[in-house]
Amino acid sequence: MSKKSIGILILVIIGIIITIIILDFLGNRPNNRGDNPYEYNVEEFKAVDASLIHYKETKNIPLGDIIARGMDIFKGDIYITGQNFLQVIQINGVKKLNVELEETGICLLVKEEFIIVGLQQKIILFDHEGQILNSWMPDKETTYITSLAMKDDILYVADAGNRRVLRYNIDGTYIGEFEGKSESEAGHGFIIPSPHFDLVVNSYDELWVVNPGKHALENYTDEGDLRGFWESSSMKIEGFTGCCNPAEIAVLSNGSFVTAEKGGMVRIKIYSQSGQLESVVAAPEKFVEEGKAPEVKVDENDIIYALDFDKKMIRVFEKK
Amino acid sequence: MKNSLSKIFLFLIFTFLFLGVYGQNRFPKPEFDSGYEQPSPTKPEPRSNAMEILDVFVLLAALSLSSWLAIKKRSRQGILWLSIFSIIYFGFYREGCVCSVGAIQNVALAFFDSGYKISLTILAFFLLPLIFALFFGRSFCAGVCPLGAIQDLLVINPISVPSWIRKTLDFVPYLYLGFAVLFAATGTDFIICRYDPFIGIFRMNAPYIMIILGIAFLLLGMFFARPYCRAFCPYGVLLNWMSKVSKWHMTITPDECIKCKLCEPSCPFDAIEIPIDEKERTEDTVRKNVRRFSIYAILIPLWMLAGGFAISKAHVFLSRANPDVFLAELMITNPELIDDTENLDIQTFLESGKTMEQLVEEASVIRMKFKKGGWFLGAFLGLVIGVMVMNQFKMRKQDIYEPHKGNCFSCARCMDFCPVEKKI
Amino acid sequence: MAEEKKLNRRDFIQNGARITAGVSIVGVGVVAATKSSKDKYVWQIDPAKCTQCGRCATDCVKNPSAVKCVHAYDVCGYCDLCGGYFKPGMNALQTGAENQLCPTAAIERRFIEEPYFEYIIDEDLCIACGLCVKGCGAFGNGSFQLQIRHDLCDNCNECAIARVCPSDAISRIPANQAYIIKGESVANDES
Repeated sequence: MSKKSIGILILVIIGIIITIIILDFLGNRPNNRGDNPYEYNVEEFKAVDASLIHYKETKNIPLGDIIARGMDIFKGDIYITGQNFLQVIQINGVKKLNVELEETGICLLVKEEFIIVGLQQKIILFDHEGQILNSWMPDKETTYITSLAMKDDILYVADAGNRRVLRYNIDGTYIGEFEGKSESEAGHGFIIPSPHFDLVVNSYDELWVVNPGKHALENYTDEGDLRGFWESSSMKIEGFTGCCNPAEIAVLSNGSFVTAEKGGMVRIKIYSQSGQLESVVAAPEKFVEEGKAPEVKVDENDIIYALDFDKKMIRVFEKK
Repeated sequence: MKNSLSKIFLFLIFTFLFLGVYGQNRFPKPEFDSGYEQPSPTKPEPRSNAMEILDVFVLLAALSLSSWLAIKKRSRQGILWLSIFSIIYFGFYREGCVCSVGAIQNVALAFFDSGYKISLTILAFFLLPLIFALFFGRSFCAGVCPLGAIQDLLVINPISVPSWIRKTLDFVPYLYLGFAVLFAATGTDFIICRYDPFIGIFRMNAPYIMIILGIAFLLLGMFFARPYCRAFCPYGVLLNWMSKVSKWHMTITPDECIKCKLCEPSCPFDAIEIPIDEKERTEDTVRKNVRRFSIYAILIPLWMLAGGFAISKAHVFLSRANPDVFLAELMITNPELIDDTENLDIQTFLESGKTMEQLVEEASVIRMKFKKGGWFLGAFLGLVIGVMVMNQFKMRKQDIYEPHKGNCFSCARCMDFCPVEKKI
Repeated sequence: MAEEKKLNRRDFIQNGARITAGVSIVGVGVVAATKSSKDKYVWQIDPAKCTQCGRCATDCVKNPSAVKCVHAYDVCGYCDLCGGYFKPGMNALQTGAENQLCPTAAIERRFIEEPYFEYIIDEDLCIACGLCVKGCGAFGNGSFQLQIRHDLCDNCNECAIARVCPSDAISRIPANQAYIIKGESVANDES
């Protein structure tokens, strides 16, 4: 090769090198990087048709620094419990009562005569002045109390740790328990992969227990026999997804269920008694992504209260 | 006692579960009737620290061997075999990472980023070849550096390049070094690693554009020997400095130079300095050159000032290399992109919860670093240019054939051309 | 005599320059050593920041990527309807390829007992596209996560995916904390 042609070759190669470096540097900037070839649009599942949303947020009460865990609504006042406290707040945010607890209160049930607080392994009865009336502990060390409900004079206690519902008299006498198991295929027993295990008594005095692992709501007799159930698994808005949903429930006066879900799509929905989706209270966009399921409660006027753990506030939803 | 202990234990577990970052642990673990046991995720360990230390020892051994081969044993053959070993070990086996060249950036980052910790093995990789160069010349380049070695093997038909081109090319590594340090110190990019031309070849796996880059360099190297080392390598700048003042440096002749000129064409890198005709040293030229030399020496501060001014003026442009600055500027100048759902970078930023103000604040901090760094970089480059220009008029005394101590790679090719035998 | 003196002067300058150079190397070394660590550093993805943009699959210098989906069993709900396994709108909860979200069928679905299913990642097939991670995060517990596998990672000095990561989820950390597995990290930190 002549010297000249080598020289030309060298120049060409240098040109290539410089072009490559410049092209690579400029071609890899935030305004011209390629699209994601593995795009998976989960947003469309989070989106909720506006016509389905029948509720609007009318109020919210920031909670400040306290770490709240459970809530109940009684006669227009909000009762909350959490890390070492039991508080009563009026709807305008004014604190009415503050009781210190030895441990974290997880769930709460308010009745005319008393307030029942569920700690992880203990049930405490307070009067409305905050004085302890009574307290007792379930038998097992793996107990993890997540929810309380009352029917007549019987207290139902959801124990997520042992996948059972305990029954007590109000004086703390143990009456019995059930695990939701039965001979039929439906009665698999409670499947509780995460500490979310809710139960309610509706206005028709029916006990409904969530079976979160099956995406089911189950209706039990006082003795713990399965009377009926519905389940709804779906990635769409009609159903529940994930390991353990709905995480929290409440009932409206007509017997419809208010459900709250956790995980990638935190949302609050309303289902009919037979499990048909009736409407949506709050779409996932209202909540923190991958957040905790809000605790939901309903007052006598069917106004829905949601305790949003991620945003640390109580949010009030009313029918539009 | 046992009871309360276990209660504390349980309580602790629950606190972890619920105060934890993820807080979504299954609880309680499902009781599988079928005896299924939950596997735990495997975590393949990174290459052990002991192996990294081994690398340092291999480097140390290779450097010692290379120095011995170049200075004592005077064996081109030996250096060739060492080169092949280095290509295999540091190149193909260690896949070219971390190398001493790239370690410059880690050191720079360690100096300027208080949060960054440099690992000792990387520091050793940075320091050892420099220390060896200070004593034995660039024995690292001779046969230890896999980048140099792979080019060295492909020197086929080297042409001698006119000295003005060589002198111009000499400046590029300084430029590259300066920008590499500036970009590393501002946490922008590791450009040395990013545009390492041979790493794709060592890994036998890279984006095609990087493979083309590697092949282009190797092709170039067939005619313009070791193009990366001579016209790019930023580490070569430091080695050059060290080697210039090296205590023992490889020599062409084992004894006394007889000025036979035989070695003159042997160096593919034009690193042999030929004797200067003493007749040219007339009184007149000496005086002229001394005067010019002093004038250019006085001009150096001006070069530095001009360089610093120019580069710090360009800080807005340069800082765009930083992804944060670029993103901030992109979103300010093109606000319509904020609605562009296709733009992952912008969308991810918007979802991150960081405000625009925070981003702009961060970007302006980085930009100020560029401005400040620009002064240093400009002054450095100005100094380099000034010294280079000044050295044009340096009166060298050269009466024998000698390798240029700074530029010589100690490859030992020239030795075979020397007819002189070592006197015993 | 004059020649010798000149030589001496040259030696003196050489020696001086050598000592200066030596001192500066040592100086740089000492300063850098104060900011050094005996640990080896490796790259890591923080699953809390990861947004599954797909660049781990496309930009890693390794092909297929050194990033893989890792299953944090501690967080898994063993769901029948797994958002990470099934395509949305699948025909049925069956393992047919048309139902699977994973483009390379790298997830094995195994029945354990009613109603639990185990999901196992075949890392040889996984390309780190993050589809399952996104699906699991959206519909389930988020037990799938992307992690850099250090038996595959070259530990580049400049990590190509760290550079293009839009959420700054990738950073250098000491090699003894190379993995953040959801559900484990908390306990590990405390113990």
